[in-house]
Amino acid sequence: MSDIFPKWTNQLPLKIAVGLALTGTLAVGGVWYYFTPKYTRVGYQPIQPVPFSHAAHAEQMGIDCRYCHSAVDRAWYSNVPSSSTCMNCHSQVLATDPRLELVRQSAKTGQPIPWVQIHKVPDFVYFNHAVHVNRGVSCFSCHGRIDQAVEVRHEKPLSMTFCLDCHRNPAPNLRPPEQVFNLGWTNDAALQNAAGQKFVHDWKILSLQSCSTCHR
Amino acid sequence: MKTIPPRCPEPEGGRQYWRSLDQLAETAEFQEWVAREFPAGASECSDPVTRRKFMKLMSASFIFAGLGLSGCRRPEETIYPFSRLPENYTHGQAVYYATARPIRNQVIPLLVKSHEGRPTKVEGNPQHPDGQGATDAHTQASLLNLYDPDRAQRFTQRGNEVSRPVALDLLAKLGKDQAAGGRGLSLLLDQDGSPSRERLLEALRKKFPEARLYEYEPVDFNIRRTSATTAFGQPVEPVYRFEQARVIVSLDADFLGTEAGSWKSIRGFAKGRSADQPQAGMSRLYMVEALLSLTGANADHRLRLPASLIAALATRLAAVVMGGVESADARSFAASLNARINKADLEKIGVAAGQDAPGWIERWVDGCAQDLLANRGRSLVCAGYRQPAAVHALAHWLNALLGNVGQTVDYRQAKAGHDGTIAELAQALQRGEVDTLVIVGGNPAYNAPADLEWEKSQRRAKTVIRLGYYEDETFASCDWHFPAAHYLESWGDGRSPDGSLVAMQPLIEPLFGGMTALEFLARLGGFEKTSAYEIVRETFQALSPGGNFEEAWKKYLHDGYRPGSLNQAAAPVVPDWKAGEGILTALQPVAPPSSQKLEVVFHLDYSVDDGRYNNNGWLQEMPDPITKITWDNAVLISRKTAAELKVKNHEEVEVTVGSRRVRGPVWIQPGLADYTLGLALGYGRRRTGRVGNQTGFDCYPLRSSAALHCATGAAVKATGGRGELVCTQDHWSMEGRPIIREATLKQYAEQPDFVKRLNLEVPPGGQPLYPNPLDKAREKALHQWGMVIDLNSCVGCNACVLACQSENNVPIVGKEQVGKGREMHWLRIDRYYTADPLLAQDRKTTRPEREQAAEHWIDNAQVIQQPMMCQHCESAPCESVCPVNATVHDEEGLNVMAYNRCVGTRYCSNNCPFKVRRFNFFDYNKRPFQNHQLYLGPLAKKPQDELELVKLAKNPDVSVRMRGVMEKCTYCVQRIEQAKIAQKIQAGASGNVEVADGAIRTACEQACPAQAIVFGNVADPNSRVARLKKNQRSYSVLEFLNTKPRTTYLARIRNPNPALPDYYEVPLSTREFEAGNGTHEPGGHAGSEPAQDHSHPKGSH
Repeated sequence: MSDIFPKWTNQLPLKIAVGLALTGTLAVGGVWYYFTPKYTRVGYQPIQPVPFSHAAHAEQMGIDCRYCHSAVDRAWYSNVPSSSTCMNCHSQVLATDPRLELVRQSAKTGQPIPWVQIHKVPDFVYFNHAVHVNRGVSCFSCHGRIDQAVEVRHEKPLSMTFCLDCHRNPAPNLRPPEQVFNLGWTNDAALQNAAGQKFVHDWKILSLQSCSTCHR
Repeated sequence: MKTIPPRCPEPEGGRQYWRSLDQLAETAEFQEWVAREFPAGASECSDPVTRRKFMKLMSASFIFAGLGLSGCRRPEETIYPFSRLPENYTHGQAVYYATARPIRNQVIPLLVKSHEGRPTKVEGNPQHPDGQGATDAHTQASLLNLYDPDRAQRFTQRGNEVSRPVALDLLAKLGKDQAAGGRGLSLLLDQDGSPSRERLLEALRKKFPEARLYEYEPVDFNIRRTSATTAFGQPVEPVYRFEQARVIVSLDADFLGTEAGSWKSIRGFAKGRSADQPQAGMSRLYMVEALLSLTGANADHRLRLPASLIAALATRLAAVVMGGVESADARSFAASLNARINKADLEKIGVAAGQDAPGWIERWVDGCAQDLLANRGRSLVCAGYRQPAAVHALAHWLNALLGNVGQTVDYRQAKAGHDGTIAELAQALQRGEVDTLVIVGGNPAYNAPADLEWEKSQRRAKTVIRLGYYEDETFASCDWHFPAAHYLESWGDGRSPDGSLVAMQPLIEPLFGGMTALEFLARLGGFEKTSAYEIVRETFQALSPGGNFEEAWKKYLHDGYRPGSLNQAAAPVVPDWKAGEGILTALQPVAPPSSQKLEVVFHLDYSVDDGRYNNNGWLQEMPDPITKITWDNAVLISRKTAAELKVKNHEEVEVTVGSRRVRGPVWIQPGLADYTLGLALGYGRRRTGRVGNQTGFDCYPLRSSAALHCATGAAVKATGGRGELVCTQDHWSMEGRPIIREATLKQYAEQPDFVKRLNLEVPPGGQPLYPNPLDKAREKALHQWGMVIDLNSCVGCNACVLACQSENNVPIVGKEQVGKGREMHWLRIDRYYTADPLLAQDRKTTRPEREQAAEHWIDNAQVIQQPMMCQHCESAPCESVCPVNATVHDEEGLNVMAYNRCVGTRYCSNNCPFKVRRFNFFDYNKRPFQNHQLYLGPLAKKPQDELELVKLAKNPDVSVRMRGVMEKCTYCVQRIEQAKIAQKIQAGASGNVEVADGAIRTACEQACPAQAIVFGNVADPNSRVARLKKNQRSYSVLEFLNTKPRTTYLARIRNPNPALPDYYEVPLSTREFEAGNGTHEPGGHAGSEPAQDHSHPKGSH
């Protein structure tokens, strides 16, 4: 009989049990990690070297997004302003505030301010800011009410599904061009649907879902 | 388990429509090459790391990766914005600057793209009237030289690094010490047409009247000027207008390839060959040459003739033409020319050309001459740089007598050169007359004529100071070495072939603190202004009189050239018959070469030029347009000669000329003159960078001052060794279907639908095997992209191949990997040979190679070139076999690759009928490729300096692919998307989103000097591409497969002369197709009707 079950089979049940346990743990761990918003960095809010408040600048003082992010409607990249842009006002306003020491230093010495990057798509994704904001997609669609943020936070997942949801059905996210940088603008749901459909038709907005739209 | 790269198999014997001698031979090895998806060894894991060891390594690294969890979180990254934003700078927006690449005494006007301050792509300046955007392969690849980690990066004294101020002090001191008017100071300069440099040298001559200036280039195109000066008795040089010529006779002038200004010549030549405008006429090209060049490959009539006999043929040609013109002087000169060459001599030439039928050669030359006479004012005769001055002078006179001056050729006033030669400098050095030798550019220790024994001579100078781009052979015997700046780092100027003033401006600060020649000379002369910028401005001020200088300067830099700045007016020229005596003396008859007394022809290499691009990986890996050899040069030899000398491909031979000898591997090349050896310059460098190291063999040791371009009396002996050559010509073969279609001009006029007659039968049903799931989506899309390639314009110059490589971040893989068929070029140029099936006796049986080599028809092959890349089939076979949907269609008709989905099954490549997909077998971007380091396992990395520099050359708009991913031509999807986005931004809140025709130019289209490639929206019936697709010459490759390619081709038209003995009524490929289709594939594929009577070429044998 010893031929039927060789000796090594003695440990087989144990091995199977350990294997199953490992697999189970990995599956739970995988779901725990990958299926949470944290994986897509929603809520990521690092401490920035200068405590810049969008709320104070954009919401309270009503400075247009494009005053600082000047290339957003021209280039794929929405630039972080240079220190000299800050100093346009801060050479007069809060000129001695200790919180702005780094900005003053940077403008003086030419050393850049090391801002921590929050929003990032993978390198093989070629996202273009300009084409979105020029065609009626507001900053709000991806960045939320960033104009009210005291500290910038990763608001939306910016995952492939997130992009595709809108690319499949662009109408809900299309605004009249003059409201693109007005993040507080809202429209009645029914009206928005009709207006969005009209924009899609009039502006020849295509539901671009090919790989080549974003990947090159 | 050492991996031995598979050899290209040896030829045996057989058939007539073939890409290589091996395919012709239908050897078993070749059959295997064709049948396999990748060549043997390409897809096997046969490296020293065994599969078991690999598993061990990989599992270990996974465990470590897991422990560290380093890959789980995205790393924190920092944004560093400018503290002060430069004016007009937009991050992410590429900027273009007009500049120019200097090459010998010309420049190529360019528009260079810069991303965030680093130049990433070189393009021709479309505004400049000379090239209108044309570039060449060298220009495309010159970008890589900027980021070459092996550049000279330091100032050195006897090999030890010194600081820049110390070196500059030396230069300043040197200038001050020349109190005695510069006695003992000698300057050796490379060629440069820069007016600023000319001005500085003039000032130097004034300041140091005793100093001596010498100029040296290993290949010097100034013979055009010197010979024209002799022929016309005034200092003039020719500027050709090939677009105006209807008959072109080229005497060994490879004006489409290695001659100066080929990028401009190609554009002109292609314009003059338009087959669709019958009223304008199509040009006819006669070529006489020893080697098979690109120009020869594009000729309507080609005569292969040893280089030393071309003078005799030119004598006969000139005699006949001059005898037919009105001028009495010409007629009397014709008589003396006739006395130089009698019937027997002429017959000897015929035999040397492989045509022993009596009277054959006479009919050829006379037919050619009559054609010239019939096209007075619309013909052109040009001679190549290898030919002696007498041949050039005859060509100049013929142009003048035929009334071509002012029509097809202009003679512009030129400055006579007044510098000494390198031979004179060597003598001065030997006599000890040179205390200080200053070398600006060049590399004389490598490429000076061998009889000067340059390195020894150079050491005779007390101090040698050099400004050089590499620490090369010359560096070794220099006392002081200054790093030179790349042209993209330099202020400068120059003159384009038409003579207009072209600006050169830097796009980047010198990466390694290199100096421009202008700054170097200014500091040497101790001049007030030493910055190249100021020097160039001053020159411009002097050359552009009046007006608002600042405005003119700005416009000059913006446009890249100054319109109307031709300072050399066209001159009326008349033959100076006094020179006739000298010419006649030079035209002594010579004995034809024989197997004991071979002739060696040194030629510029299509890849590395004279050696200056030896360390450029893109150029090294670029297959030679004719031989398709990469990474090497070879001893090119005709089949007959090889048989007589009993040598075979890859066998190493020793070539002896006098007492000098070199060794190199043999490559048998159809189309070569018998008893001629072709040796390419520029390889076998003794001291070069890590790319050029150990590539090819050096043939400069055979070159002497007396025989710079062509040496006679050479002997060849097999050494018994082997030198493996790697050749891409057998890879990705298409098995002799009617892939390239062509007709003669006459045939095209009679049967405008000749292209359709070559169609093979479409399988029954007519439905594509692979339906396109996006066929419905197509109706909604605004654009449908497509491409047309005009084979009638394409000359096969390779500019597109390198433009594609530069634009799309295509890596180089190294010689060993190319040998396995793993080259990564998205765009390749297929070169096919065809020969007349009726000339071959007994073509079904396989005969020994040696027997077949004795048949001369094999060497008079016609050559056709075809650019081949992803055809973007509408019903793409690659897509339906991809298990992970990594290659799919988009709604605008692109066959796209999602690299991140690709798992590397390579099924797509297997199913692609065009063999255009490329697989990353290794992480070619990260791994070192030389010295087999590829196989050091996953830990092998490029040295950091190399990696960082090579990164700078990458196009940020294209993903860099990693190991295990398939890739292929994308129709430059990044350019398409950018154009679409730009149009949408412009449209804003409107529906005007259709991209205008011509707004997108793919990299290959933009680079093409022949304008053979047109890309655009086929859905728009008015677009250029849609109109071209309606042309009667339009066809798609392998149309019977019904894959509906979006890339279509326009058939080539040849224009042979019925008066010539080698006239053909239909091109040989058509004849071969018709003959082969009947016998090779009985019963099937008989869709084509017999198009023509298979008339035998008259008197071929």
